[in-house]
Amino acid sequence: MDPSSPQGTPISEEEALSRLRQQEDTSQRYYAAWWLGRMRSQHPEAIPLLLQALNGALDAPSNDPDLLFVARNATRALGKLEAKGALPPLLRALQHPDHGLREAAARSIGELGDASAIPALVARLQLPGAAEAASGGLRLGEPCEALLEALGELSEGQANPELSAVLEGFQHHSRPVVRSAACRALLQLSGDPRWAEPMLTLLHDGQLQVRRAALMDLGASGWRPAGQALADCLAENSLKLIALKGLVEAPLGCPAPQALGAPERELLNLMDQLL
Amino acid sequence: MNPELSPNVNEHLQAVEEAASSEALLHATRSLVSLCAQLEPHSNDQQAAILCLLELLGTNNPGAAVAAVDGLIACGNAAVEPLLHNLDEHNYGARAWAVRALASIGDPRGLPVLERAVATDIGPSVRRAAARGLGNLQLEQLLAAERPRIVERCLRGLALGCADGEWVVRYAAVVGLEGFLPQASAAGIPGAIAKEGRSLLEQRALTSEEDTPVVYLRAQQALENLSGAR
Repeated sequence: MDPSSPQGTPISEEEALSRLRQQEDTSQRYYAAWWLGRMRSQHPEAIPLLLQALNGALDAPSNDPDLLFVARNATRALGKLEAKGALPPLLRALQHPDHGLREAAARSIGELGDASAIPALVARLQLPGAAEAASGGLRLGEPCEALLEALGELSEGQANPELSAVLEGFQHHSRPVVRSAACRALLQLSGDPRWAEPMLTLLHDGQLQVRRAALMDLGASGWRPAGQALADCLAENSLKLIALKGLVEAPLGCPAPQALGAPERELLNLMDQLL
Repeated sequence: MNPELSPNVNEHLQAVEEAASSEALLHATRSLVSLCAQLEPHSNDQQAAILCLLELLGTNNPGAAVAAVDGLIACGNAAVEPLLHNLDEHNYGARAWAVRALASIGDPRGLPVLERAVATDIGPSVRRAAARGLGNLQLEQLLAAERPRIVERCLRGLALGCADGEWVVRYAAVVGLEGFLPQASAAGIPGAIAKEGRSLLEQRALTSEEDTPVVYLRAQQALENLSGAR
């Protein structure tokens, strides 16, 4: 999100492609992969090069930190570019020993919008130890938040009792951000407003980081009755604007608006106050 | 304790300084802000409160920063000089809040800061606040002879905002233009400026030109509002 990333000077698309093509300088490749996703590059070489960067790490005999470093950004970029053909390598990345790569893969799989990926995401969530603290408590065994959010994106409006049961297993998780992600997915899946309640409560949490997570989850869910609560949350206006944009553009349970109606005007009015 | 300030203001400033938790800081800030509206313009009390609010813009406490911006806006023109002299070059969060306060106060002295911010600031939130502010300058505070040049500069800045790579800056520029056009015509500005401003809005309203739905929807709304107001 931050434009002032490592070598934050503006570069051209050609320059980004050639930085990703070369193999000597890892940090240049890392930046180039980020850039192509961030700028939504439409260049025909962008996706093949990103896939190469991802496959390079997947095929490496051992965990090469340099390859992984680039592969994580390539994975994120493939999601941003909605590269449909990237699903098979992303599903492989979901099985990789590197937690960061699995997390990036889960998010990108959610962005591709292909519901055939649901069973693979559910399987990761159901691994023994998936929801328990690992690596000295910093993170969970699996990237649960990303997995849950991706499931929400892929299962919107599909009644699926088995999936609901899995998601409900996370509603009392000890980490509020995981609870929020689970409720978001359940809200998207069922459209049932009772799943919005826990997120609305977390908008008032004492921790800024938790309020931010609930804000972004409600925005991504498209549940429009949350509009005023999002606008009132004690968090940065830039995040509130992104969340409200989600409510305007992708309302839960109805098609994207083609023209302005009263509900859109109300949300736009909330956004105007935050500029 | 500053002996030149009234006991009430001293007490409020001290409460902000001694706040030990983010909740306490929010509470103390809000209570200082509610006092701001009652302070005599340009008094020592008001200046001290303004300086304290400026410092709060740089704390990592969005709730307190929102309240501090409201307090600065309530102080109006008296807050403009201190805002212009205390822009934090190293913290773009703080700068965004300060530009936001300047944008809402609408004092023309803020124009050079808003122009520079919309054109060159690396923080999208700073460019966003500046774009909105360029449509909100209080033109009637200017001498009639100054107006055409100032209005022209505002429009240049708004055009930059409309072409920004970040959707949120384009959105803010659209909102800015909606405020700017009626003001500019009330100030008796040449028709060419109004025409150019309108065509900027019309471009943003086209789905073939603008790829972000929330931006074209907002531009469509602005055009509707403007033709309704006419």
